[in-house]
Amino acid sequence: MNYNIKRSVSLYSYQEEYYLGKLDLEGCIREAAKAGATGIELLAEQMMPNFPYVTPEFKEQWFGWMDKYGTEPTCYDAFLENKIYDNRTLTLREQVRMMERDIKIAGELGFKTLRTLCSTPMDVIKGSLDCAAKEDVKICIEVHSPFSLNSGWADGYMDMILGTGTKHFGFMPDFGIFCKKIPDVLTAKALRQGASPECVKIVNDAFANRVEKGFTKIKYDTNLGRAHGEYVKANGMPELMEAIEKAGGNAADMNYARASFNYTWCDPQDIIDNIQYIYHTHAKCYNTNAEYEETSIPLKEVIAAYKKAGYTGYLSTEYEGNSLLNDAFEVDSIEQVRRHQEAMRRAIED
Amino acid sequence: MFARNMFKPDGFRNTYADGQAVGFQFDCKVQYYRGITLSIVRDIKVEVDGVEYPRENIRFSIKGETFTLDEMRTVIDHELRWEFGKWATVIVLKEGGLEQGKHHIKSTQIIAPSYMPHILEHAGDYDFEIA
Repeated sequence: MNYNIKRSVSLYSYQEEYYLGKLDLEGCIREAAKAGATGIELLAEQMMPNFPYVTPEFKEQWFGWMDKYGTEPTCYDAFLENKIYDNRTLTLREQVRMMERDIKIAGELGFKTLRTLCSTPMDVIKGSLDCAAKEDVKICIEVHSPFSLNSGWADGYMDMILGTGTKHFGFMPDFGIFCKKIPDVLTAKALRQGASPECVKIVNDAFANRVEKGFTKIKYDTNLGRAHGEYVKANGMPELMEAIEKAGGNAADMNYARASFNYTWCDPQDIIDNIQYIYHTHAKCYNTNAEYEETSIPLKEVIAAYKKAGYTGYLSTEYEGNSLLNDAFEVDSIEQVRRHQEAMRRAIED
Repeated sequence: MFARNMFKPDGFRNTYADGQAVGFQFDCKVQYYRGITLSIVRDIKVEVDGVEYPRENIRFSIKGETFTLDEMRTVIDHELRWEFGKWATVIVLKEGGLEQGKHHIKSTQIIAPSYMPHILEHAGDYDFEIA
């Protein structure tokens, strides 16, 4: 069967090389295309000169690069800096204007979707829907671990979608919700920083146990801190911290135990259940080995759900392993992205 | 974040005004993964050879404009964003500057991106020499 799932790269993946001056924006696009991607995802605040203004020169260059490398814009990652003044949060009107500013940049540069973060207030999203419709840009809330689909949290947004009937808001899962194991590069970093093998085993066993019995999902709450607190408690963080303490764990052990709650395993059936509201996907990756396996995320199993659901959007590689390596090693994001694109190609075409 | 590559190796020097050393300076990159509006920088701490310098003595200089850390809290101009991967200069006022020879610096950037539930604090260390 021929599947119409397309592959993109978020240029976020190349942040290490960009930071070091080894790749510029065009270099990132070139590498993404070389890895086989036909879609480009951009964090304008990371790599676009003159943000938040799109100069005519930049626009011409941007579309020139898309032609030259045979790519098209996929997703624009927005941030909504609503605490730009440290003595107050922006008013609702100010926030909507900021959101509209980003939607317009996205539209002008040809992006079809815009990533918004889970911290974006619902009223700001609602207030921006007309602009999104006008620009024909779909706002997508990132379903980033520890958030999940088919959860109280997702229901909050589903109610809004159904209530407004909007076609310009939906979900964007991040593959960090499909971690069957804690990334091995995180474990290696913890050990490097002095974590003990005994405590690492306790944390890994507890994670395996959560995967096996299923994670308790997060609720919808306008107070994200409270929702998160309840979530980690329901998933056994207090018990784990106690076990680490009993085992004589040090600061690195504690950090590793806490960090393990940043990763989630959700049933890929969640994708099938919500497919009509999924417009883009962050194919998060931490470490893809030479055998083309993402070492924490079972790509074939996850992508099988996308195939079964008939997804026609982009899977966009988002390599995030750099920060788990760069305290001690050189990072090769270009190779990591290449491997991940190949791994996704195989999973889609097999 | 990127602590191993936070400082510009040849950016360390004493700062002169009217022929007098009035402090020292170094170039560094933002310890975050995107460019930022200066107003979200809450603090930049500098410690050299174990001596921490007071906040009032720190200046931040970018694209030809220099601010105190308190002034920085209101800088929202887009042309003065601290772009990702680009150098900015931190100046520390200290009469006479630093002595010639080898030194060790630790600098901490405290940044408050809106969506984060907590404020980011990232430090980096470096050995440098004043010629």
